[in-house]
Order: sequence, then C-alpha cells, then structure tokens
Amino acid sequence: MVLSDLGRRINVAVTDLTRSQNLDEKAFESMLKELCNALVSADVNIRLVQQLRKSIKAKVDFKNLPPTTNANSKKRLIQQAVFDHLVDLVDPHAEPYKPKKGRSNVIMFVGLQGAGKTTTCTKLARHYAQRGFKACLVCADTFRAGAYDQLKQNATKAKIPYYGSLTQTDPSIVAAEGVARFKKDKFEIIIVDTSGRHRQEADLFAEMEQVQSAIKPDQTIMVLDGTIGQAAESQSSAFKSTANFGAIIITKTDGGAAGGGAISAVAATHTPIIFLGTGEHMLDLERFAPKPFISKLLGYGDMSGLIEH
Amino acid sequence: ISGYFRNIVGGKTLAKQDLEKPLKAMEDHLVQKNVAREAALRLCEGVEREMVGKKTGSFESIDKALRPALESSLRRILTPTSSLDMLQEIQSVISPTVKTVSPRPYVISIVGVNGVGKSTNLAKICYFLLQNNYRILVAACDTFRSGAVEQLGHHVRNLKELSARENVGEVDLYQKGYGKDAANVAKDAVAYAASHNFNVVLIDTAGRRHNDTRLMSSLEKFANFAKPDKILMVGEALVGTDSVMQARNFNAAFGPGRNLDGFIISKCDTVGDMIGTLVSMVHATGIPVVFLGVGQHYGDLRNLSVPWAVNLLMS
Ligand SMILES: Nc1nc2c(ncn2[C@@H]2O[C@H](COP(=O)(O)OP(=O)(O)OP(=O)(O)O)[C@@H](O)[C@H]2O)c(=O)[nH]1
Ligand SMILES: Nc1nc2c(ncn2[C@@H]2O[C@H](COP(=O)(O)OP(=O)(O)OP(=O)(O)O)[C@@H](O)[C@H]2O)c(=O)[nH]1
Ligand SMILES: [Mg+2]
Ligand SMILES: [Mg+2]
Repeated sequence: MVLSDLGRRINVAVTDLTRSQNLDEKAFESMLKELCNALVSADVNIRLVQQLRKSIKAKVDFKNLPPTTNANSKKRLIQQAVFDHLVDLVDPHAEPYKPKKGRSNVIMFVGLQGAGKTTTCTKLARHYAQRGFKACLVCADTFRAGAYDQLKQNATKAKIPYYGSLTQTDPSIVAAEGVARFKKDKFEIIIVDTSGRHRQEADLFAEMEQVQSAIKPDQTIMVLDGTIGQAAESQSSAFKSTANFGAIIITKTDGGAAGGGAISAVAATHTPIIFLGTGEHMLDLERFAPKPFISKLLGYGDMSGLIEH
Repeated sequence: ISGYFRNIVGGKTLAKQDLEKPLKAMEDHLVQKNVAREAALRLCEGVEREMVGKKTGSFESIDKALRPALESSLRRILTPTSSLDMLQEIQSVISPTVKTVSPRPYVISIVGVNGVGKSTNLAKICYFLLQNNYRILVAACDTFRSGAVEQLGHHVRNLKELSARENVGEVDLYQKGYGKDAANVAKDAVAYAASHNFNVVLIDTAGRRHNDTRLMSSLEKFANFAKPDKILMVGEALVGTDSVMQARNFNAAFGPGRNLDGFIISKCDTVGDMIGTLVSMVHATGIPVVFLGVGQHYGDLRNLSVPWAVNLLMS
C-alpha cells in the first residue's frame, strides 16, 4: 500500500524512542530527525517537512514538560503529536461535494498528463452506478491519440453510457454537447474527462477554463499520480488557482511509491482526498478518510469500521 | 545553493564537522530538485570525500568551495561512458559491412510504468527515424490497456501523412488486437519486419508497476522472444523517489545478462528546473539517458545535454 514503507519507518522511530531507557530531549530530537528523513524519502515536500518538525516540537515542548511527567505519559504525548500532525497533513478540514440523487451532478476531471484521469473516471462512474445513481461519461479529450477509444472501451466494459466525438476538435464544444444531452436524459452523475495538461503551457490551462465555463461543473476533481515527486506542489497549486478543484483522487497507490508528493498537494491546496486508485482494473478504487488512513499507516490497528469501501 | 556559512572565509583546512551543515543544505537543495534522497546522499558523500582535508582558497566561503565538487560529480554521473549514436548502430545492423553477417531489422522496445509516456515517445522516436529515411514497423504489444492499439494506430496514421508529405521514410503498424501474449506478438512483428524489408521495429509495451512480480517477470520472456537491440525505459520527470526502484527493477527484469540500454526521461517540460529524476535513475543503475521528452508533439524529443542538466540542477 501507499506509504507503507513510510509507516514502518515512522513506527520504528517512534518505538525506538519510546523503548529507549532515558527518554530525553536528545532521543526526542533524533526521533524527529528520523521522522523527517522518512518523510523526505517519501517525497513529502521538503518545506512541509520542516514545518511539521517545528510544529511537533512546539506541541510536545519537551523542555517545559513538568518534571513529574512519567515516561509513559511522555510516550503517549509524542505518539499523539506525531499522529495528529500526520493526520493534519492529509486532512484539510474541507468537505468535498456530495452528489445528490434526483438531479444532475456534473463532475469534471483535470490533471497532469498520464495521471490516470480516463481510467479513474470510469471507476468513479461505476462506483456511483453501483450506488443507484444514473451515471455516464463524456470524453472531452480531443487531443490525446486514442483518448475516445480508451474511454469508450472502458465505459463499454463497465456498461456506462458515454458521449464523445471523433470529428469535433474543440473540447468545450464536445463537453457542452455531452453534458446537455445527458442532462436532458435525466442522468444524475455526468463525469467529464479532459486532456492531460501542465502549468507551463498557458494555452492548455486556458482550454481547461473554457471547458469549465462551458459545463459549469458541480465538482472538479484533480487526479494526481501517487508517484509524483517535488513538482506536486507547484503543479497542484497552479491547477487550484485556475480550476479551483474541490477534491483530489490519488492514483497508482498500488505501485511502489510512498505517495508523499501527492499528499503534499493536499497541504498546498487545502483540498481533501476522496478516493485512492489501487490498480488498473475497474474495481480498484477505495474511499479515503484521513484518520483511518494514518492509523493504518502507523499500524495503530485497522479501525476498519471507519473505512468505507 | 543557499548560503550556509557564507561568512567562513579563506585558507581553512576543511574538517568533517565544517562540512556537516553545508552538505545538509546541499542535500536539501538536491531533494528540492527532485533528486531522490538516496541519490542526493550519495552525491553529498562524494563531495565530502573529495573536500575533507582540502584547503579553501583565500576569501572563499565553504559553499563556494563545494560547488565545483558537486558540479563535477553531477557531470560525471550523467556523462555516458559509451557512444550513444543510435543511427550509426542501426546502420551497422541493417547493412552490415562484414559479408558474413546478414542484414536484419534493428529492434527497439520501450518499457516503463503506467502512463509515463511510452507510446508517445515511441511515436517521437519513429518521427526522428523517419526523418532519417528509415522504413519502420510499429508493433502494438500493449495488448492490455483500453485504447492502446488505437492510440498507436492514430500516431502511425499521422506519421504516415507527415512522411509522405516530407517524402522521407515509411511507417506501418503491426497489431493483433487485445488479449494476446505480448511476447508472441513482438516475435511475429520482428519476423514480419524481416520478411517485408523494414529497417527498424519499434515495440510498444503495456505499462506495468515495477512491484508487480507477475507482470515484471513476463518481461524476460518478452526480451527472449523479441530479441531487442535496444531496450529503452521511459521514466517521467514528474516521478519522485520511486524513480530509483523503477529503474532498478526494470533493469533487473530481463533475465541474466540482459539489462536496460538507456532511459528516456519524459515530461521534462512539466517540471521547470526540478529535473532530478534523471540523476536518480542513472544513480540507481549506471544506465545512460538517451533521450529527453519535452512535450506532446512529435518533434519534442531531445538528446541529453549534460551542461544544460548540470546548470539546472545547480541553479
Ligand atoms: N497500477 C495502476 N495503474 C493505473 C491506475 N490508474 C491508472 N493507471 C494506469 O495509468 C495509465 C495512464 O492512465 P490514463 O487513465 O490513461 O491517464 P490519463 O490521466 O487519462 O492520461 P492523459 O489523458 O494522457 O493525460 C494507464 O496505463 C492506466 O492503466 C492505478 O490506480 N494503478
Ligand atoms: N508534457 C508532456 N507530456 C507528455 C510527454 N510524453 C508523453 N506525454 C503525455 O503523457 C500522457 C501519457 O502518454 P502515453 O504515451 O500514453 O504513456 P504510456 O506510458 O504509453 O501509458 P500506458 O501505455 O497507459 O502505460 C499523454 O497525455 C502524453 O501526451 C512529454 O514529454 N511532455
Ligand atoms: Mg486520458
Ligand atoms: Mg502506452
């Protein structure tokens, strides 16, 4: 799983500390150092790691612990501080949009090239279809070779109605046509897939705005590749200020990456993660919730009652 | 590189503890350039080894003294040790100078994890080879991902038009649809190319995560069947620390005695100066970078310029 190696390392650091005979400030400092190294190796943005370190330090405030504090309470204090700060890292305290039945909910996907948008939009459509929504897909990627075929084949496998065009080259026109048609047919979840883009190409960002104003989505979702490194922050911030997406889906969490880059995007954009992509197949989509995720990461028990699949 | 200890000047013999903080700053700098921490640490260790015991010049800060050492380490790691002239190699295979060797098509296959740009950069290489007037067969051996075959089909159609317009080279698609065993399709494609007078076979493969043992182990059979002259791995500039294991695991996947021949680092246009991935991947394997992908169009393929890369990494 994503971050599992990070979880192991953090665990070792915290356990080493709490096992050590004299739980002094020096031991605490070296735990912090190991924690930060683990986070940096997991691609968490380096400035974010530095902030985290400061704020855990301030929270525990080792120097000013009352002299009567026994080792056990110190341990608990430290564990709690680490846990809380890691939860904060993936929890922006913002509520994502919740689609409602009986009306149209237009969802637009945006993201960098190859992040997993097309694959994930079918997964999400299927997710809602299974929960009784009337769901469909619109292909507004008129750039990438074979994009429409890809969406069509996925949608067909998942038995989801779809719309696209082989001749129209303007994505906002295709998007608007598709959304209008499906609205007329009373579809409840209308997911619009778009081309991959990046902040360095202004035309591509302008195109994203055009599609957005053509379809006025109820929710815009940024799809982020779980393997992304230090570029996560600048790219996701640029997408945020242009498309103001309201949710993040992290893909490829079944891969070898620790996922810290993608997680840094949460902090940079104050936007909640709603799902994780866990494979190439249609069913490989998991709901995301900050606390259970971090508990599991740190091996604090599964708390599976809180994890919705 | 940010200035720790700018104030320490001139004529000092550097000891390990003088270097601790500047080296940490150097490590952070490299990590911010998206160099995997493991690779950054190795570079810093190299710099430390080189600098301990050295005397700084008069009125020189430690930072300044360390700079050239890092610069030369980067240059060393990125500079390939053997020639990367692909055109020359192709030439020697398709029209050998020795009479006892018979000509055959030159086979290039492209591998890598999901979505990094394998198919697109294959199309760019195809365009480059067309400009050099070769006859190319593109083999659609991603028989798994939806739309993969049609995607290549689109590219081949576009490239056919381009080559006809510019009157250079020829290109065709070899495909057997979905669900087939990729190694078999590849083998058949190479045989087809040989009997139909193609010069180069470009084989696209399905994306696979490097920690998927089943999909990774099928690469060995693939290499045995297709017998590629060059196996190029695409790694994307966007990827973080995972680049190290991606490179290592792919390099080890083709069985004993067979390694990767080079990397294509794609999406360099999306990272600004954070081009550390190329350092990470070369650090992990010693395999050179052959091409950079710098955009989504056919012309967006470059050779690696080491001074360019070193400049960005030092900035
Ligand atoms: N292992 C794994 N692969 C995934 C996952 N999600 C997507 N992929 C793969 O990633 C690759 C790229 O996915 P796409 O859906 O085409 O990505 P995209 O963002 O639509 O790409 P562009 O439209 O070109 O920008 C494909 O090979 C997918 O099968 C995931 O959760 N796990
Ligand atoms: N900006 C930029 N985008 C690129 C570059 N190379 C490829 N892409 C884009 O990345 C996306 C994925 O490219 P593909 O060639 O389909 O990737 P792939 O590795 O074949 O993907 P799978 O076969 O699904 O594993 C597409 O949107 C490409 O246009 C590049 O150098 N720069
Ligand atoms: Mg797509
Ligand atoms: Mg491909």
